[in-house]
Amino acid sequence: MSNEGRMRATVNQKLTEMGERERLKELLRAKLTECGWKDQMKAHCKEVIKDKGLEHVTVEDLVAEITPIGRALVPDSVKKELFHRIKAFLAQHA
Amino acid sequence: MSPAGCSHVNGYKVDNWKQNLRVIYQCFVWSGTAETRRRKAKSCICHMCGAHLNRLHSCLYCVFFGCFTKKHIHEHAKNKRHNLAIDLLYGGIYCFVCQDYVYDKDMEQIAKEEQRKAWKLQAFETRPSRLYSLESTGIGEKYTTWEPTKRELELLRHNPKRRKITTNCTIGLRGLINLGNTCFMNCIVQALTHTPLLRDFFLSDRHKCEMQSNSCLVCEMSQLFQEFYSGHRSPHIPFRLLHLVWTHARHLAGYEQQDAHEFLIAALDVLHRHCKGDTIHDNGKKANNPNHCNCIIDQIFTGGLQSDVTCQVCHGVSTTIDPFWDISLDLPGSSTPFWPLSPGGDGSTVNGESHLSGSTTLTDCLRRFTRPEHLGSSAKIKCGGCHSYQESTKQLTMKKLPIVACFHLKRFEHSAKLRRKITTYVSFPLELDMTPFMASSKESRMNGQYQQTVDVLNNDNKYSLFAVVNHQGTLESGHYTSFIRQHKDQWFKCDDAIITKASIKDVLDSEGYLLFYHKQFLEYE
Repeated sequence: MSNEGRMRATVNQKLTEMGERERLKELLRAKLTECGWKDQMKAHCKEVIKDKGLEHVTVEDLVAEITPIGRALVPDSVKKELFHRIKAFLAQHA
Repeated sequence: MSPAGCSHVNGYKVDNWKQNLRVIYQCFVWSGTAETRRRKAKSCICHMCGAHLNRLHSCLYCVFFGCFTKKHIHEHAKNKRHNLAIDLLYGGIYCFVCQDYVYDKDMEQIAKEEQRKAWKLQAFETRPSRLYSLESTGIGEKYTTWEPTKRELELLRHNPKRRKITTNCTIGLRGLINLGNTCFMNCIVQALTHTPLLRDFFLSDRHKCEMQSNSCLVCEMSQLFQEFYSGHRSPHIPFRLLHLVWTHARHLAGYEQQDAHEFLIAALDVLHRHCKGDTIHDNGKKANNPNHCNCIIDQIFTGGLQSDVTCQVCHGVSTTIDPFWDISLDLPGSSTPFWPLSPGGDGSTVNGESHLSGSTTLTDCLRRFTRPEHLGSSAKIKCGGCHSYQESTKQLTMKKLPIVACFHLKRFEHSAKLRRKITTYVSFPLELDMTPFMASSKESRMNGQYQQTVDVLNNDNKYSLFAVVNHQGTLESGHYTSFIRQHKDQWFKCDDAIITKASIKDVLDSEGYLLFYHKQFLEYE
């Protein structure tokens, strides 16, 4: 594993151990719902399902189609806030 | 995919499968305790590449974790013929034969229970001192979608009429007949029936009446909401409300014109007193503080005003915090001097208001309200530090903001010399940021931190205007009307029984007497 990979793993371990990961996830969920991202994603999913047909669509189809869109549509403000939270947490506990 | 899962799942459901599945959920998917979290942090990595991202899955038949994205778990499934895996992020069950996620009713049930358990544990852990509180802290209650009970389904079938709320439907709007100078009451009723949280409280029937007689004002409010949302377009005659107000607030009885602000405070007070049956009991807390109940009125309208008295000699600060339901603001033109706003006041514009031809803004009034004030030599305070009477300065700031902030512009002057109405135009914004007037902002300024970058992300102090009460005329004879906001940006003018559509410009150009603002973002406590 690369250096970056190792650092990622360490940070993740710390976040998970202290329960901060769950809290951050919930914060992210709330923020993404507030700014309408969740509704946009829902709409996209409906389109994919319409395209592929309800009987044949798989979770994989959905994941493949909406992951790039989802990643691109996250607002910068949300990214900033999460980043600050993680930074603050690491500063406190590292 | 059907809720019966797939046939391959049935192959798993043997022996002690339920317990095994629960353990997997508890340890690796939704870890509730510190111990399971530690274990999860250490062991939840891919057995092939060590990564923890990439949609990690756990094999259901043996101890193996593998990436989904990199197909490591797929390899394992093929090699060992272990056909089922669980997604460690969301708890979904994947069947490699069907090549999709499958939903088995029994497994879903177990998943739901384990998730709820983990949430409860996390809530306890983050703040153990609040063990007795009914509201969990930390992340809070897990949101689950509503599923109707049998009784609710019955009720829905018996009452098939449905009301559709579109963006331009006028449900909730209704005129009020003037019963003889009762416009002061009508406009407050309009403001209250359009306060979103209050509306939600009453429309979901949350009031449990504990009063024996028929004189509960909260019950009458509940009735009022039913009338407003009934869909009737004819004006409502609020004679019962008026009678109850006369009964409980004697000083407002009679047919002469009263002050709408006084009525608001009296109404909130009576509602607060009659809400006794609905308060959430914080064990032990209620007995000590009969004034700090948790009724809906307090939850929505009560804020905390901090008063700091600083001794000019020893600079010791004595702080008190008082609850408030409204903020009364002095205006320029009254007998008390308005300008300058503060000794060496800053001229920055807050909230983007423009000083058109030097007109006063709401923010100006708020800055004046929160400015440090020299109490003068005739009003010396006994200083605890100096043990003697000293001159001091007093400053008010907001300690805790209410969900609904009501600003009262003091237009009616009743001083010893004169009684008059101050008609100075005060411009007020649609969106208001209360951050500069908070006690915490003042502390930061005193500590030399002028730029608060983190506060840009803090939306807790942002408010939106939703109702304006206006007074036309003079002190002796006048008339109250109100503007209220429906949906996101539709405004209506309520003049007793006559409701007309209004533009945002109409609202913002009006004189303004009572301004009602609602918090933009509501956080769970």
